[in-house]
Amino acid sequence: MEENLRWLWYAFGSAWIIHIAYVHWIASRTKELRVQIESLRTLLKEQERKANP
Amino acid sequence: MPKSTAQTSDKLTPVLGVTAAAMLVAALYMIFLWVPNESTMGVVQRIFYFHVPSAATSWVAFFVGGVAAVRYLVSRDPRLDDLSVACNETGLVFCIVNLVTGAFWAKPIWGIWWAWDARGTSAMLLAVIYIGYLILRQSVDEPSQRAVVCAVVSICGMVDIPIIYMANRWWRTQHPAPVIGGGGLDANMGMVLGFATLALLTLLWYIVRQRRKLAEMQRETEGLRQMIHALAG
Repeated sequence: MEENLRWLWYAFGSAWIIHIAYVHWIASRTKELRVQIESLRTLLKEQERKANP
Repeated sequence: MPKSTAQTSDKLTPVLGVTAAAMLVAALYMIFLWVPNESTMGVVQRIFYFHVPSAATSWVAFFVGGVAAVRYLVSRDPRLDDLSVACNETGLVFCIVNLVTGAFWAKPIWGIWWAWDARGTSAMLLAVIYIGYLILRQSVDEPSQRAVVCAVVSICGMVDIPIIYMANRWWRTQHPAPVIGGGGLDANMGMVLGFATLALLTLLWYIVRQRRKLAEMQRETEGLRQMIHALAG
């Protein structure tokens, strides 16, 4: 019984680790891209200003 | 300049996140504390309530991803490619959870980590197809070409789903004969299975929305880079 309980915890533990790792990856990548988009938009505005003074 | 994807407000996603979390807590309560032990396998059979719903959820994700891929090929709307990649990648995560929980169930019951039976092998093939899909996405640079090639792979991947479902009906497999819909499942067990599936489908919906937003932001970044390049050139 206790031996089998170990497998139950392994299964549920690994399932949650996989899900949490994936959601965390999405969140950190989104944060990264938000910063990147902001700086690209600033750069684009500057270039547009230079092109059409 | 149009409003950035990063700035668009989204009220549904947080609501979905909270709902999914509440449903998952309730599902865990039912799985660990409410549903009775299965008489032959004992406590380890409870993996069933996560193993089977993970498979069903991945199939739903791949199906929606495939339908979005078909619609992309017809309309060439890049938002459908965003939806397709979001569904397929999230579906792969659920598919991997299904394979891993299956291995942890097989070890104490069958005495082996993995049986190369028709259902397990076709389920692993599904994961391999979508790993290939993600590798392909990384290797094609031109966005519209990438979307077309990936849409074709996504549609091909869908074909494996009915094969997995029918595997233990068509062939003799290590997996047991179908219990769902065949009257072989206790009413309480069926209820927990149904609720856990619903909870994982809500979690899928939440993650797909987050991942789709990320795909939109990736597309926006590519577009901004092209515009900067064009202006600089």
